Amino acid sequence: MDALVLRVALVVLAVTVPVWILLSLAIVVGRMRYERAHRGIRSTELTSREAARLVRRVSKRRPRTEWGRWRRVSALQRLEQVHHPAVPRLIHTVLADPDSRIAAAAIRTLGDIGDAWAIDLLVDALRRGNGQRSRVAAELERLAPAPGPKLLPLLRDWNPTVRFWGATLLRPYPELGDATLIDLTWDQDPNVRAAAVETLGTRSGAAVGAALLARLDDGEWFVRVHAARAAGHVLGAEAAPTITRHLAEERWWVRTAAKDALRAMGKDAVPSLLAVLVHEDSFARNGAAEVLQDVGFVDFLALDDPRSPLLQRIYDAGGEQFREAAEARIASIPVEVVRAA
Amino acid sequence: MTGTLLEITVLVCLGYLLVTNLAYVALVVVAFVENGVRRHEHASQDFDVLGESRFTIPVSVIVAAYDEETAIVASVESLLGLDYPEFEVIAVNDGSGDGTLERLVEAFELEPYQVFVRHVFPTEHVHAIYRSAAHPNLVIVDKENGGKSDALNAGLNVARYRYVCGVDADTVFDREALLMGMRRVVEDPARIIGVTSHLTIAEDPARAMAAPEGRRPIDRRPFMAYQHLDYLRAFFNNRLAWSRMGFMLCAVGAFQIWRRDVLEEVGGYSRTFTCEDIELTFRVHEKFLREGREYEILCLPDNVGTTEGPDTVRKLVSQRERWQRVINETVWHYRNMWLRPKYGNVGMIGTPFYLLTEVLAPVFEVLGIVSFVVAVALGLFDPAVFVVMLCAIAFLNAALTACAILLDDLQSRTYRLRDLVRMLVLAPLDLVLYRPIIVWARLKGTFRFLRGDKAWHKFERNARAPA
Repeated sequence: MDALVLRVALVVLAVTVPVWILLSLAIVVGRMRYERAHRGIRSTELTSREAARLVRRVSKRRPRTEWGRWRRVSALQRLEQVHHPAVPRLIHTVLADPDSRIAAAAIRTLGDIGDAWAIDLLVDALRRGNGQRSRVAAELERLAPAPGPKLLPLLRDWNPTVRFWGATLLRPYPELGDATLIDLTWDQDPNVRAAAVETLGTRSGAAVGAALLARLDDGEWFVRVHAARAAGHVLGAEAAPTITRHLAEERWWVRTAAKDALRAMGKDAVPSLLAVLVHEDSFARNGAAEVLQDVGFVDFLALDDPRSPLLQRIYDAGGEQFREAAEARIASIPVEVVRAA
Repeated sequence: MTGTLLEITVLVCLGYLLVTNLAYVALVVVAFVENGVRRHEHASQDFDVLGESRFTIPVSVIVAAYDEETAIVASVESLLGLDYPEFEVIAVNDGSGDGTLERLVEAFELEPYQVFVRHVFPTEHVHAIYRSAAHPNLVIVDKENGGKSDALNAGLNVARYRYVCGVDADTVFDREALLMGMRRVVEDPARIIGVTSHLTIAEDPARAMAAPEGRRPIDRRPFMAYQHLDYLRAFFNNRLAWSRMGFMLCAVGAFQIWRRDVLEEVGGYSRTFTCEDIELTFRVHEKFLREGREYEILCLPDNVGTTEGPDTVRKLVSQRERWQRVINETVWHYRNMWLRPKYGNVGMIGTPFYLLTEVLAPVFEVLGIVSFVVAVALGLFDPAVFVVMLCAIAFLNAALTACAILLDDLQSRTYRLRDLVRMLVLAPLDLVLYRPIIVWARLKGTFRFLRGDKAWHKFERNARAPA
């Protein structure tokens, strides 16, 4: 048995010792070369031979391995760094790669270029679904305001996903597409309705307000979530009575959106919230109490008149822990501040 | 008779050693491919765009803290400093007996507020929820002690976003940790349901993370350096390969990103196991594979942060025996997945690999050592051969460790050259200086598992110089 074990041990040693030494050398030498390369100023230029090699690598039809595809992407990015004239032609082939991660690298390159033709390609990629659409959208948004007018045709596309992205991307362009966006709040696809509502939330006007209020009763809960936030933003206190109704919603996310919208209105939401304190639904009551707490109304009342019946009503709606939290906050306020209040 | 028995035992242990190490070598080959692909991906990623885009998916970061007064403020500060477009930090004080809550209240000017949340996951009683005027995206939950899983579930109840990231309170994160963790999720949120990433280890994480990339020191003490090497092997040699092959079996507790609806589907973190991370990963695999759903759980090679490592042998044994216990508990609990084609690579490769290299390892390690020593003592075995065999194992480990160091350095170039050299030199001595401690801890963990012990045995935090 000694001989067998010894033979196995020697074979293992004969393999592992050289491997360990070689790997150690590779690590140390590789690291030294890396540091040397990064210490000096790196030349961004390419020799014509290097450029030709990189162009060949990118032009290759579908490398068989994932590794090969990434080498192709690196080559494209290197060519883009030196603004090589072949880049616009080459980028088409990489953008069409079925692997969305590879296409994403081409999308990033287009975003870095940012010229009119690059924007056209990005909009086209969004329409065709080359690469992840959220990646394309992020690049297009980075290039705002340049792509603005080119996004409008997306709102009329047959594909609801494209309409969704069109509506979403119009947010930084308040002067574009109001009427079409209002039309889209009645789109068949709920995602498109949600996107249109979200973008309209950054605009103003009576027509916009009316469209948003109408969507507060949408059949899809996530459209109602966007509608609550958007209506609060566009209409302010005018929308408060309608939004407070949604504190009693079945869906938790809609209730949260309603609370967010009311919170953002500040003290203007208080009259509507007080009316909900006696609502039959406990979620509506404690939601109203929570918003009153967050806008500072509870602390104001507790400082002003701790025995006020209104404060007691809010405490009743919020519960015992609500009262304890309020009392702890008030107790931590310095006496001078209380006196000043 | 004794001689024959010993010979058979030695041969079985030798066979075990060869099989497990061949499996490790195969995994390293896969890990090199995965690391290369991820490196290219990382290089082609525009983190500036990702960090500013409103299309980057928001994340709720949940940190559970129990008696973490020395580390909690640095940890929360590092989380609040994350470079990410939209996120919230939920720190859950799990009934700490020390000054954890007081430190938080003082450092972040907290005030109690009542927040009405969904009680999707049942938890111990929540005493209060605190908010900070200075940091609107910070929420502190103060609750009755119920263990880490219970604290994470309480955080989940408060979380507002679609993805949640569970982290440890003793970990300090890189500013781009969430961007690095979410970069693949953003590309395919329908499919990628879980992500973990590489973490390093240090005696004082805040100090280690304060050094710039490329200059991060490894702790001077070999004891800490060996733990660091252990982490490198686990992340680079194993988890990267598991991730590539579709059986990522452990999204580590110190940094685990999950899609929230998945956690709701599987019932959140379980309180019935010693630790929560590995069991949750197994549970998600089991459910999704049983239902034939497409999904991915990934391990990325990006270094997202530094976690605190035990600085004494006693603390290390306490930590590692707990890890061994939870591995045994989980692998045993999910024994219905072993070698079942229905469970794909998880059932056919992942669980048998875990069984062989983790659950059975302490048994074979002890059996091997004892039988070799007895065989030498009885004159059945030449001591010189025993020494040669030990050298062979030491260099086999050293070669695998060097692979992990190379993979790490190719990915991040985090450490100083002199530290890389030190780690390479320390690698062959691992077998005699570090491995015996781990063998002892694993044995102890196995023994406690057999006894049904499920206590946490948290190790006392390292002493630090005042900030």
